[in-house]
Amino acid sequence: MRPFALNYARPAQQLEVSVPYAYDSRLQLNVLPDGRLAAHDYAVLRELGSTTSTAGSKTHFDD
Amino acid sequence: MTVLILTCEQDVTADMVVAELDGNGVPVVRLDPADLPGPVALSGEYVRGGFHGHLSAGGRLVSMSGLRSVWVRRPGAPASNAAEPSDWLTEESAQALYGMLRSTDARWMNHPDAARRARHKPWQLSLAQRCGLPVPATLITTFPQAARDFADRFPDLVVKPVSGAHPQEPPRAVPTSRVAPDTDFAAVAFGPTLLQRRVVKRADIRLTCVGDQLFAARKPVAPDADPDEVDVRFATSDALWQPVDTPSSVAAGVRSYLREARLAFGAFDFAEDAEGMWWFLECNQSGQFGFVQIESGQRIAAAVADWLAAPVAPTAPGALPNGGRAWAMEGH
Repeated sequence: MRPFALNYARPAQQLEVSVPYAYDSRLQLNVLPDGRLAAHDYAVLRELGSTTSTAGSKTHFDD
Repeated sequence: MTVLILTCEQDVTADMVVAELDGNGVPVVRLDPADLPGPVALSGEYVRGGFHGHLSAGGRLVSMSGLRSVWVRRPGAPASNAAEPSDWLTEESAQALYGMLRSTDARWMNHPDAARRARHKPWQLSLAQRCGLPVPATLITTFPQAARDFADRFPDLVVKPVSGAHPQEPPRAVPTSRVAPDTDFAAVAFGPTLLQRRVVKRADIRLTCVGDQLFAARKPVAPDADPDEVDVRFATSDALWQPVDTPSSVAAGVRSYLREARLAFGAFDFAEDAEGMWWFLECNQSGQFGFVQIESGQRIAAAVADWLAAPVAPTAPGALPNGGRAWAMEGH
């Protein structure tokens, strides 16, 4: 009784990786330990895939 | 006038826009509806023929009449972080928050009604056709025989979720996948199935639209790429997204699409074939754009910030109260 499309399913990537930044409610921005804005550190964002399409996301499907 | 951003704390793509707004001196309140009630609080009263509402988050208090725009980015479900969450409390909180926001003159990116409709892929395909965008032959069916007949007509097929959602118990992803020629389609009867003619692509195209600004980026497919790697989200390519010009016919088509869909933002996916034609795959009404900006250098976050910061136009006599005018792409 498995729907056809699920024959092509694969385990979702676990995106629960720890990130090196934390949300600062005063700034309303995520901040790195050295005080820099995470949004300005493209190397970190690229490495973590923080801004990529969220295939397999639990809560959003607007990739 | 303040920009209200509804998103979760982890959303660093929203950070890109908040940083732009900060740099331009535009007041911002960012909150996650998941934190209502609790860290997020609201109050609104309807007296003497008028509405007066306030929102509070992170020590900031903003009048709803002082909102110039609302950006619905990656909001959590209202009340999902409450001490005693329940479906009832979520509905109560959603009605209170979004109901009051609908009572304002703020512009929306994107209005919840437009967003809800825009998520329906079958509707997307139909709208794209009406707007003159090429759409690969597609079948959505629960009839196994219809699937077999379609496969006879279009032997090289892919399958993808109708909704774009992924099953969670257990968590799985359902990438766009090739369907082998000898596939047994009996299981089509157990769930609506979307089959589409595979576009033999030489590149993926991501066309991010902010108001009427278009940011097209192209990611080439390597000549020796595995032909079974159909879904760019799962491909192992090292190629980067690079800016590319948008063909005039596509530009006209996507602008018509956004106008019809009443969307202020949309991230379109196309497959570019060997002849250079862009085939419409889908439009993500709140699609990610940070990864494109990082690789292409296109200033998409700045464009989003500019759209959100544009002044609220005065309400014209006879104009639609709220919703209709708020959807429009004024200012661009």
